[in-house]
Amino acid sequence: MSESVPTAAETRRLAEEARDRVRFEEEALDLSDQVYRVARRLANSREEAEDLMQDTYARAFRSWQQYQPGTNLRAWLLRILTNLNIDRGRRVQRTPEQTPLEEGDYYLYNRLESTMSDENPDEDRVIERLSQNAVVEALAEVPHDFRDVLVLVDIGEFSYAEAAQILDIPVGTVMSRLHRGRRILKQQLAERAAA
Amino acid sequence: MQPYLDRVLSDEQMREAQEHLEGCPPCEKRYRFEVTLRRYVRVAVEEHISPELQEKLAGLRSAD
Repeated sequence: MSESVPTAAETRRLAEEARDRVRFEEEALDLSDQVYRVARRLANSREEAEDLMQDTYARAFRSWQQYQPGTNLRAWLLRILTNLNIDRGRRVQRTPEQTPLEEGDYYLYNRLESTMSDENPDEDRVIERLSQNAVVEALAEVPHDFRDVLVLVDIGEFSYAEAAQILDIPVGTVMSRLHRGRRILKQQLAERAAA
Repeated sequence: MQPYLDRVLSDEQMREAQEHLEGCPPCEKRYRFEVTLRRYVRVAVEEHISPELQEKLAGLRSAD
């Protein structure tokens, strides 16, 4: 083995790479609260979410060179995270009963409104009939395939296209799962509204 | 309603939907309910990362 002295160009390249890496790590860490907010709702418990975060960041720091600077880093991290979550074989799940459609999307509203005394109350007051706990529980009841999309779009505020990329599914599937997921969520909320 | 709420319609479709909402109280009411509900859900399920986990993640960085 030759013990060659690195050239100036090589030294410069290594220094640049080290700097890029540090920058990547800082940016990823800056997003950790935002990533966690989504991860917590994709996972079934706080412990699971924390494990997922650690596995995700460990993998991200290892494969940082696969990230293309200038693209959405939060989406990139969540793509790793959702893949890990799916790999954990979390999915033994039932298919939910189809939500009754007779009352359509008004079902939840009507249910909430019926618990109030004034006529024609405003939306804020109607929705405040739901406790924070009820919302957390209701969301946790949405089966994973639907919840993944719902959480990415409605909680993480990703576009349909970004959610499709993160989950590696077609945009049409994102839309149909989102629609179904929102309906299941409302059904779950309605069940908790009267209590 | 969902594509309108998600702002994924073309400009023209958005305009059409908006015009419809302005003249249709039941749809307008439903729209307001949907918007409020989404915001309410987003806030209700918000949980922040703990400082301990943040530290652990920082510890996973390349050691150099």
